[in-house]
Amino acid sequence: MEAYSGSRPSGWKKWLLNRFVLVPAAILAVAIAWDLYASTHDDGFVVGQVLDAQGKPVEGADVTLWVFSFTTFAENRSVKTGADGSFRITGNPSHHIQLSAVKPGLGSSQRIPIRLYFRSQNTTLQAPLVLSGKA
Amino acid sequence: MMRRSPTWPIHLALIAVCFVMLVPFYWVLKTSVSGENIFTYPPNIVPQNPNIFYYVDVWYAIPFARYFLNSVIVSAITIAANVVFNAMAGYALTREFHGKGFILILFLSCMMVPFQATIIPAYLITGQLGLLNSYVGLALPQFSTIICIFVFKASFDAIPGSLIDAAKVDGLPEWRIVWTIMLPLAKSAMATNVILSFIWSWNNFLWPLIMTRTPEMQTLPLGLARFLSYQEDTTGALYAFCIMVLAPGILLFLLAQKEFIQGLTSGATKG
Amino acid sequence: MAMAMSAAPERRRTSFLRRATTRQAILVWCFLAPSLLIFLLYRILPLAWNILLSLQAWSPLKPAVFIGLENYEEMLTDEVFWQSLWNTVFIILSAPVGIAMALGLALLVNSNISGRNVYRTLIFLSYPLMTVAVAIIWRWMYDERVGLLNYVARLLHLTDTPIPFLNSFFWALPSVVVANIWQMLGFYMIILLTGLQNIPSSLFEAAEIDGATAGDRFWRITLPLLRPSIFLCFVIGMLNSVTSFDLVYVMTGGGPGRATEILVTYIYKLGFVQTRFDYAAAVTVVFFVFLITVAWAANRLSGGNAGARDME
Repeated sequence: MEAYSGSRPSGWKKWLLNRFVLVPAAILAVAIAWDLYASTHDDGFVVGQVLDAQGKPVEGADVTLWVFSFTTFAENRSVKTGADGSFRITGNPSHHIQLSAVKPGLGSSQRIPIRLYFRSQNTTLQAPLVLSGKA
Repeated sequence: MMRRSPTWPIHLALIAVCFVMLVPFYWVLKTSVSGENIFTYPPNIVPQNPNIFYYVDVWYAIPFARYFLNSVIVSAITIAANVVFNAMAGYALTREFHGKGFILILFLSCMMVPFQATIIPAYLITGQLGLLNSYVGLALPQFSTIICIFVFKASFDAIPGSLIDAAKVDGLPEWRIVWTIMLPLAKSAMATNVILSFIWSWNNFLWPLIMTRTPEMQTLPLGLARFLSYQEDTTGALYAFCIMVLAPGILLFLLAQKEFIQGLTSGATKG
Repeated sequence: MAMAMSAAPERRRTSFLRRATTRQAILVWCFLAPSLLIFLLYRILPLAWNILLSLQAWSPLKPAVFIGLENYEEMLTDEVFWQSLWNTVFIILSAPVGIAMALGLALLVNSNISGRNVYRTLIFLSYPLMTVAVAIIWRWMYDERVGLLNYVARLLHLTDTPIPFLNSFFWALPSVVVANIWQMLGFYMIILLTGLQNIPSSLFEAAEIDGATAGDRFWRITLPLLRPSIFLCFVIGMLNSVTSFDLVYVMTGGGPGRATEILVTYIYKLGFVQTRFDYAAAVTVVFFVFLITVAWAANRLSGGNAGARDME
């Protein structure tokens, strides 16, 4: 008699606190947290600075955003740098971009590839874009 | 226990086999985080600069969430139907009844009809039912599987009759007996069934390939095959995609492997 | 829940049907009904329909015309059909290789060593994988330029020039077979392990007292008693490998030429690429007869008692 009454589920704890519930729940929690983070940091800002060959900030350089599409990078938009050489691109639509800067007379920079963890992630360049110095 | 002989040769042989079995896993995982071997020869054994950007690429290159959702829905339907129908049929087969021999022969001969050999009429039948390009249609052929019926039957058979008799004396109705005594004791059979039906529906390729008409209904295996045909072997994203589709299956198996192997070894092969 | 629901009406009916056996029979058939319906719909009916279809000239847009055995006659001169049949036979013949390897593994993991459950799990791990992904992984292991196998082969100086495994008429089919064995090995092993564990250990002890060597014990006790498990392995393995559509479709697509075309891929191409449902149905019927013949032969070879065991 005891055998079948004993095997009856003893309560909600038994159904909730086992690895078949906890592991998927943990994964779900991580996914939701990631989603929340992503949705509050996807304004598409790209912030950085442009320096000339001597390391001085460059005002009025053209910074171009290149966006990866299928197999090549296409030009998306460009901005001019401010007095301190800094720039702020808004509306980056992609997760796989390149940046380049050019100023007539001061040369152009290399294209810097940037990979983001999600689309339109706000990002700040670690290293400035450096113009070559050759016209 | 027989006489002790050194066990290290056995360990050595098994480690070698496990190594061979696991190398493809390691290799695909490594490429998914580095992508390097596609271009470099000789290959590096340890990934250089591991990163997860190929996974990000996959996420945006295809409607991964949609494929994933489709796969999950189809698998969930399949698993639910499987456990219920197979447990019912397995329970029925533990009873004596007129025509049991015929049913057993029928089931065993159905096992000999591989689904892949019936795709054309199965497609036409599903069309007649109006279920082409639908979740139910995708899951329907796998609603019941013969191996799992026998797994259930074996585990019900293993339950001592005295337990059931005692419950009957107590005046428990039949469905209470099934629900409170038989099913809890058939836990490993259930785990086996859940895993097997998950594997079979999650991995199913041919049926969705024939059945689905619109990209919105495609499941992960189809998405993977399509991705391969777009990209060929040129990007680490392909292997990131592989890892992303393999992970749920491996995770589920590792979670339930104890019950699974138990159920399989106690049921399937004893018929 | 569904079980409880379908059982509940049975209780109400007891007042009309007092005889316990009748009640029991109704219960049993109700429980069997859903599964039977599925098998009827997707196994038995398709089989009959296939046979009917194979005797007709029919495609989705044209009315059916009865043409007798013409579809089968066409098959006789269809080179692709014979190639696919031969490839299918080759794959079936490779199943015993995998089973022999699995038997060795089963013996190893059945021995009393620490950590054997870890070994079992690791070896089994390749079975639950999605076959499409397995095919992609192996495609690339076999790759001519950067594949791991070619790298190892060159490292060991087995070959000087890289082997284009999947693009060579000679290597393509064996390569697919190896990938298939890799995936199925753990599954075979578990089935054989069950068989091994069902052999009473008293038999081995008695044999040892009688002075039987390890080899004797294997050939005289283990192997004969394992015959049903081996048969089961063979049937499951055969069904699985001859129907490994996804593996072939993704790894080679049946190529190079028709070197890896198997009957299932050929049927798919006939039916859903060329829309020749009638001819595809005829090929299916032949395929099915062929499978039954092989299973029957294997059953005879394994002592003819495997089916009987299932019947109890």
